[in-house]
Amino acid sequence: MLKEIHQGETLCPVVKHITQETINLYADASGDFNPIHVDESFAAQTPFGGTIAHGMLILAYVSEMMTLAFGRSWLSGGKLSVKFKAPARPEDTLTVSGKINSIEDKDGVSFADCSFECSNQKNETIIVGKAAVKLPAGEGEKRGSK
Amino acid sequence: MQDKTIVYEELVPGYEFPSASYELSIPLVSKYLKAVDSSEDGLVPPLAIAAYAMSAMAGGLSLPPGSIHASQELEFFKLVPTGATIECQARVAQKLTRGKLRMLVLELNVFDQNKEKVQSGKTTIILPTEEANA
Repeated sequence: MLKEIHQGETLCPVVKHITQETINLYADASGDFNPIHVDESFAAQTPFGGTIAHGMLILAYVSEMMTLAFGRSWLSGGKLSVKFKAPARPEDTLTVSGKINSIEDKDGVSFADCSFECSNQKNETIIVGKAAVKLPAGEGEKRGSK
Repeated sequence: MQDKTIVYEELVPGYEFPSASYELSIPLVSKYLKAVDSSEDGLVPPLAIAAYAMSAMAGGLSLPPGSIHASQELEFFKLVPTGATIECQARVAQKLTRGKLRMLVLELNVFDQNKEKVQSGKTTIILPTEEANA
């Protein structure tokens, strides 16, 4: 977890290499066998030209970064909004990065407002989004609300 | 689980999918953790819960192959321990058409066995164009 929660603080990035096996495992775990993810011959006929990873798989990596930074505060008081900009494909290496944009107080509760993105090895943006985490009482002042 | 599926054309805003319950058993969560390359800590990752909620909804919905996720909103309210049972509810918030694009906006709510909300979300799905399916 972050030792200090300050405006401008960058979050520890999460880096993942995905393969078709990763995608197949996720399909099996989630029950989402949409052929765009798992059927290479079907996917080759679509505008994507091949299989793509599940968006929710990429979001799992975002959630991992947020959990590493904020621990249980994220799991029980997190919020995110994300747009999928481009597909992640087998053999992509994805980097999820983020930072704390501000610490806001709303009705006596502190929230860390963050932005994040995921990009591939070609520096193409896969997803962009915003997240907010409700901080435990007193954490906003104690840990760097500016 | 529901035994009947509904197709896009039959959906109307406000339509509620039959609710579905899941036991977040150790094997189920372990399979998820392996798929996302993460480790066990006795709690169910919130994105696993979201994935199961979407899966529950998808069981009652037949979308064309090649439909993709355009955007996602999620909010988490409670920790969920491995072994808990959750109930997933979903409804159609909007059906949108922009040019040749057809989009579906779905709202999801997940409750624990005490009927307390653990998660809510909104999913936007883009359906492939008719030409792509031809």
